Amino acid sequence: MSRQEKSRDQAHDHGHDHPHAEISQSERPGYYEIMETAVRELLIERKLIGADEIRRQIEVLDSRNPALGAKIVARAWVDPAFRARLLADGRAACEEFGITFYDDTLLIVLENTDKVHNLIVCTLCSCYPRPVLGLPPDWYKAKPYRARAVSEPRKVLAEFGTMIPDDVEVRVHDSTAMVRYLVLPKRPSGTENYSEEQLAALVTRDTMIGVVPATIDTGRKAP
Amino acid sequence: MPSAAHRSILGIVPALGELPIFRPGDRIRIRERSPIGHYRVPTYLRGKRGSVEAVIEPAAVDNEEEGYGRNAGSRRHYYRVAIPMTEIWPDYVGSSRDGLRIEVFETWLERI
Amino acid sequence: MTQTENLVKRLPNDIGGLPAEPIQRTDHELEPWEKRCHALADVLDFHKILNTEEKRCGVEALGSEMIGKLTYYERWIVAFANILFRKGILTPADLARKMAEVEARSTPSGPARE
Repeated sequence: MSRQEKSRDQAHDHGHDHPHAEISQSERPGYYEIMETAVRELLIERKLIGADEIRRQIEVLDSRNPALGAKIVARAWVDPAFRARLLADGRAACEEFGITFYDDTLLIVLENTDKVHNLIVCTLCSCYPRPVLGLPPDWYKAKPYRARAVSEPRKVLAEFGTMIPDDVEVRVHDSTAMVRYLVLPKRPSGTENYSEEQLAALVTRDTMIGVVPATIDTGRKAP
Repeated sequence: MPSAAHRSILGIVPALGELPIFRPGDRIRIRERSPIGHYRVPTYLRGKRGSVEAVIEPAAVDNEEEGYGRNAGSRRHYYRVAIPMTEIWPDYVGSSRDGLRIEVFETWLERI
Repeated sequence: MTQTENLVKRLPNDIGGLPAEPIQRTDHELEPWEKRCHALADVLDFHKILNTEEKRCGVEALGSEMIGKLTYYERWIVAFANILFRKGILTPADLARKMAEVEARSTPSGPARE
């Protein structure tokens, strides 16, 4: 049951039946939302953070999503010089592209080849290339993925429908420090005449985490 | 980074901890320490052997100290380390080629 | 090695290599307060009030029971509160007072004010 559903169920216990004009039951904040609101307001009152900074940072976060990473990958597929710069210094190449990094992380872009298939994980928490991909999916942050990606990566990949031949190395990257990773998937065959925009449409979030390869059938339908 | 030859011509003495101790290709072992409190080297890698793939630049603060509020000072290098899966898991199921990469702070590595 | 030494030596978030279930491909759209919580972490980091590593340390310090039972951003906000108390930036009394105020204003028929 979601938080909001829980609130809704508990809300009508106070024994009257007039309609609530201003605040609907589904908007009543839960315990942790109240805590977040209280912490934020106290910090603003004490001038430790600015009143508009949270709103602005939400805009920053909302502007980051897998479409950015997809554009980077598509550019790397069509422009060998950009690809080389991207592999040499991921952060610098993304910044050159216009993607600002609002934190102190570095970015290493991992090239999938005929010899190596890359997979990224953060076993200790949820480190993820947020400036380029936005926020990670729940499954990336949950125990099964974090525990098993480093010990049985091929089984994990199989759960995503991905089979990697034995003669290809599966290389798992555990981000625990300031470096973040982005997988550069292999360009699907049959896309020789695709425009950069058409190529970007084949690159989903999961291809850049490394759990699935990019295919000619991949659409924007799924992350 | 200026080379050792250049440094010696100029009479340059680097600060303590300023230069990386390890170079790409060096064989290393992740130490067997069991610290109490915040750490960023997972238990599954303690005592495992691998090699340095790259030196991460620039030198940075120890993330274990950073966890307690230390934002600056005592910078050393992190190293990207390559470890085969078969070294980590005695009963690893997969290809013998499979491997892991992780960035580790200098004080967690010993030369072998 | 006793059972309890393991609890001390292995942080509750240090789960690489432990046995676990099949992956459930769940995801959810962040609730507004969760997004504000994430933004708060970033803003506190910019101001050098609370850095990312301190946040991780704070979440670890919640202990395995809370880590197991609270959701991702619930863990963050409780960790922030604890760290801000430790740094003397807020006191538990401040937070309790403000939380009561927030709750009263968001409950249409809250307790009558004396």
